[in-house]
Amino acid sequence: MIKKTKKYLKAIWAENIKEWKIELSYKTDFLRTFIDPIVYLLPYLLYGIAIVGGRESQELKRLTGMGDIVSFILLGYIFIGFMNMALWAMGFSLRKEQYYGTLEQVFSTPVPRWVFTLGMALHSTLHQTLILLFQIIIINLIFTLSFNLSGILPSLIVVALMILSLYGFGMMIAGLTLTLKQGWLVSEALSGIMMVITPIAYPLAVLPIFLRKASYFIPSTYGIIATRHFLLNERLEIPLSTIYLRLFLLTIIWISFGLIVFYLIDKKTRKTGTLHTY
Amino acid sequence: MLKRNLNVIYYEFVKLTKIWLSYPIIFLFFTIFPLIWVLPFIFQGKALVGSFSSIPFKELTGSGNYLAFLLLGSIVSTYVFSGLWGVGNSLREETYWGTLEYLILSPTNPLVLLIGKTLTEFVYATITVFIQALVIVLILGVKVTLPKLLPIILIILLLLIGFYGFAIAFAGFTLLLKEVEGWIRTLEWIFYLFSPIRYPVEINPITKFIASFIPLTYALIAIRAIILLNKNIYSLSQIILILGIIDIVLIALAIFLFRFLEKKTRELGTIGTY
Repeated sequence: MIKKTKKYLKAIWAENIKEWKIELSYKTDFLRTFIDPIVYLLPYLLYGIAIVGGRESQELKRLTGMGDIVSFILLGYIFIGFMNMALWAMGFSLRKEQYYGTLEQVFSTPVPRWVFTLGMALHSTLHQTLILLFQIIIINLIFTLSFNLSGILPSLIVVALMILSLYGFGMMIAGLTLTLKQGWLVSEALSGIMMVITPIAYPLAVLPIFLRKASYFIPSTYGIIATRHFLLNERLEIPLSTIYLRLFLLTIIWISFGLIVFYLIDKKTRKTGTLHTY
Repeated sequence: MLKRNLNVIYYEFVKLTKIWLSYPIIFLFFTIFPLIWVLPFIFQGKALVGSFSSIPFKELTGSGNYLAFLLLGSIVSTYVFSGLWGVGNSLREETYWGTLEYLILSPTNPLVLLIGKTLTEFVYATITVFIQALVIVLILGVKVTLPKLLPIILIILLLLIGFYGFAIAFAGFTLLLKEVEGWIRTLEWIFYLFSPIRYPVEINPITKFIASFIPLTYALIAIRAIILLNKNIYSLSQIILILGIIDIVLIALAIFLFRFLEKKTRELGTIGTY
């Protein structure tokens, strides 16, 4: 068992290193991954400032207990990176191998396929963490933010649980891309829907009830509200213990579901002989 | 000569339409999702001001109705982004399909092919925009009369002539640079940040300054003025003049740049490389 785990960890690490090497070969594109999220974030902030007429919103304060729209939106926004990790990096991990022309070789090795997806996930988690730190530093330089520093540790625990849960979600997408081939449409559609139902730039209270209920199945919902609570003192609508419990359950559910979907689709594509098709 | 070119444009149109009709789900996606992408901004507005109207927003734009502001920005930008991907990336797509070499080697001027691609993209974008506009008119109950609609069509045409010129020049760059998806995505965010698609650029002096170099800024200001502020075409003559001048400059520059880049790629012998 230990020997097997060691072998899997080695494969995950090798996949991670391979991705870094490929990514660093395209330096301009690599740099762009740091700049694009900031350029994408600014319209959210400037739009907020335009409709409020400043940084402090009385309505937001009434809804959440804190009124600084810049800190509120920034902390919600940085979680998009983690959602993208599940939707794009993990979801497209095997599709990428297909583009590289290495999918058949990877699938012939004596390591389960999900291990490669996890390797991509590890690379993406590290990359997203770097992007996240860069965003916080730059936005802090432009707008000057203040966070509750004692909230960093509990936030990291919640984020770690959330990432584990998203890994399961990403595994499901990776399976779907094996059978759908042009799975970008699924990722793009899911990304659009998740952007609406997760409380990135607004509290859950403004969403219609059916969307609010849907958001409770998304791990990043809990990651965002808990982190904003710890770092910005956002008032919680759900008790903290419930957040931890639900995140824990979602982690088990999504990972099991993701692995089952992946396993079934993998088996099906092998049976139908469509693994190599585009 | 003219008949031959029109024939090429027609068959380019038929070819691309056949490809599009093979993927109806993609058409559906690009019709519905531009409206869904706006929803986070609408909910954000509700969370920050508690209603669909804002006084500070009115001071900046003349209208406090930020919901209509966002939806109009989304519809008009659909044209721009479809042009950027559909025309700017069109020669790259031919590379993927394995047909670029055949097109370049044929006795047809590549610019004529690009005109065919541009016209098809225009028709495709117009259908999606029409459906989006219909949904918005039904939801918001906006009354669009003919005296309002005609100037809007004129402004959109003026915007698109220049923008498609830019996209054709960009298609020339794809011949030389090959993989430009990253550049297109960056251009997308530049448009989102420096033109009033999602927020009034007047909020910041830097965004306001840079936005003044982007034709989309003028088109959006004019279209919103007609629909939201009931301005007539005569009061927008200055904007129409600016858009007309930008069109002439961009088209001339696009033809020159495309020819130059195509020649350069042929000289380098890299047409067939990826």
